[in-house]
Amino acid sequence: MRKILAVVKREYLQIVRTKGFIIGTVLGPVFMSLMLVVPIVLSVITVEEQETIAVIDASGEVLPGLERKLNDVRLKDGTLRYTLEEHRLTDDLGGLRERLNQKVLSKELSAYLFLPADIVSGGEAEFVSEHVSDFEKTQDIRRALNSVVIEKRLKGESIDPQLVSRLIMPVPLSTHKVTTRGVEEDTGGTFLVSYFLVLILYMTLIFYGQAVMRGVIEEKTSRVVEIVLSSMKPYQLMAGKIVGIAAVGFTQYAIWTLFGIALATKGRALASSAFPQMDSFQIPTIPPYVFFYFVIYFVLGYFLYSTIFAAVGSMVNNEKEAQQLMMPVIMMLVIPLLLIMFVMRSPSSSMSVGLSLFPFFAPMLMLLRVCILLPPFTQILGSIVLLVAAILAMIWLSGKIYRVGILMYGKPPRLPEILKWLRYR
Amino acid sequence: MNIIIPDSGRIEVLGRSMDENMKTEIGYLPEDRGFYPKMRLREQLLFLAALKGLRPAQARQTVDLWLERFDLVDWRTKKTEELSRGMQQKAQFIATILHDPRLIILDEPFSGLDPVNTKLFKDVMLEMRDRGATIIFSTHRMEQVEMICDEICLINKAEKVLEGSLKKIKQQYGKNTVVLEYEGDAGFVREFPGIAKLDDYGRYMEIQLEESIDPQELLKLVTGKLRVGRFEVKEPTLNAIFIDKVGGSHA
Repeated sequence: MRKILAVVKREYLQIVRTKGFIIGTVLGPVFMSLMLVVPIVLSVITVEEQETIAVIDASGEVLPGLERKLNDVRLKDGTLRYTLEEHRLTDDLGGLRERLNQKVLSKELSAYLFLPADIVSGGEAEFVSEHVSDFEKTQDIRRALNSVVIEKRLKGESIDPQLVSRLIMPVPLSTHKVTTRGVEEDTGGTFLVSYFLVLILYMTLIFYGQAVMRGVIEEKTSRVVEIVLSSMKPYQLMAGKIVGIAAVGFTQYAIWTLFGIALATKGRALASSAFPQMDSFQIPTIPPYVFFYFVIYFVLGYFLYSTIFAAVGSMVNNEKEAQQLMMPVIMMLVIPLLLIMFVMRSPSSSMSVGLSLFPFFAPMLMLLRVCILLPPFTQILGSIVLLVAAILAMIWLSGKIYRVGILMYGKPPRLPEILKWLRYR
Repeated sequence: MNIIIPDSGRIEVLGRSMDENMKTEIGYLPEDRGFYPKMRLREQLLFLAALKGLRPAQARQTVDLWLERFDLVDWRTKKTEELSRGMQQKAQFIATILHDPRLIILDEPFSGLDPVNTKLFKDVMLEMRDRGATIIFSTHRMEQVEMICDEICLINKAEKVLEGSLKKIKQQYGKNTVVLEYEGDAGFVREFPGIAKLDDYGRYMEIQLEESIDPQELLKLVTGKLRVGRFEVKEPTLNAIFIDKVGGSHA
């Protein structure tokens, strides 16, 4: 036991003291908050400028209305966003369009709009611009054009447009979810939080699993394993390494959690003072039991995958060789990621239940179900029991492979050889 | 290391059957240096000491003592990947003996060492022997064997060729070897009848004579024809025995 502890201590100190760990731990949350904040900030401060759009109105009846509607779209300083420039339809339509094309290319115009004579009775309008990736702009034009033309059509049928817009007013629908604590409003926060937590679980499982694998490979290539194993059993070394790296993971999580709490309490006030728009963004509340299960599934998932990663590391001579052998393991982690949407849509279907009980998927999918709606306790317990059983089986299996692999150099073993290793007593 | 299990029979070490606890009684120096490349030297040794079951205080004391002895104190906070091969070798040697094992297994302990450190290693090895430790080491350098070893075992292609006390083996080979140090053209020596084996190194010759031949006959032959630096009748060197035993199968 003392020997295992010595290995745990070594693994922990060696990793925690590296620059990589310090940078990763500090920059991780910084990077993550940037990912959240930057798009919000960018959308608030998008560069806006006045644009001139030429209009050829072949119908001769849409332009005035269109201009009136677009006058409502203002820049932040209150000036008009769009200035319309009328071009009378001539006999030489092709020539006119050619001239306008040139003007768009030379940036005199940002775009031009061609409205056919039959636009009110269903003709197709054309918006021509150098690029059409500014969705906001096309959205503005489309909306204005729609409302003008529809108004015209309604008037043609002697219907009051005001009446219609009142009649087709959409029904407001708010979403709530019922939990044991009562009914709460939920505007998609659950979705975000669940997705986020599962993603973190996925990333950390892969990251720390690979850390274990790299450690094993390092010991093997530096041949220190021969020295260490002259003092202890292979399984002791493997156990010490896995526990040590788990301790690193917990340290990192602890730091991140503290950071998260600080951000949630201080950061919010700061953010809303800088960007008042953010007030409308509700941070969803996460029930404490979600964190409880997160820790449980992280620990179980980590032990399951890191033992496999340790076995993979023991079989190869360098990380390049490891890539290939690692593929199936990574696949097992990616599949639940792809199933997230399916499970979210029908968290209680028998398919979802079955998938979330499967030990290799359980950490991520059962956690997801816990986030969305707390499944029956028997199912959670079932997944944990199955996970523990799978972990024990994997420790047995990986231990056997590890014991032989760690001292084997040369070509990575093929399946028949691995099966032979398993039979060694 | 208790990793490779015997196909049949059982392993006994120091009169007891091998098990996990025996590992603290054994020190093993592998041929390839094995260290955690990023770990600092002293930490590394402390870690390995802990694995051998030393208490922290005891480990610190022993490690510092050996670092001093092997002149590595100035390098104790360096990462092992920054150390030269010779230093790594010394560090590895410390790791092998710091728990004062009763059985020490050394695989090519002298490779890559300068004469000063070779002497240091040899001195420490003899000290450990005097404290009652059994030392097994492998080497290709026969003169080292002759200097240090009590018993030898010669293995060629996984077959034991020769085993026993060094003294007895040499006696078996008889006292009929002549070492000749010379200047001049010594080709004619080969013509001398009764030579069982002859190794010519250019300025130095090791000749094994047949039992019945008196070495004095050979001396008479060479005097006057060569400038003789040394003419010695002695037991065969281990080198010669090695070549005799293994040479055939290599050719």
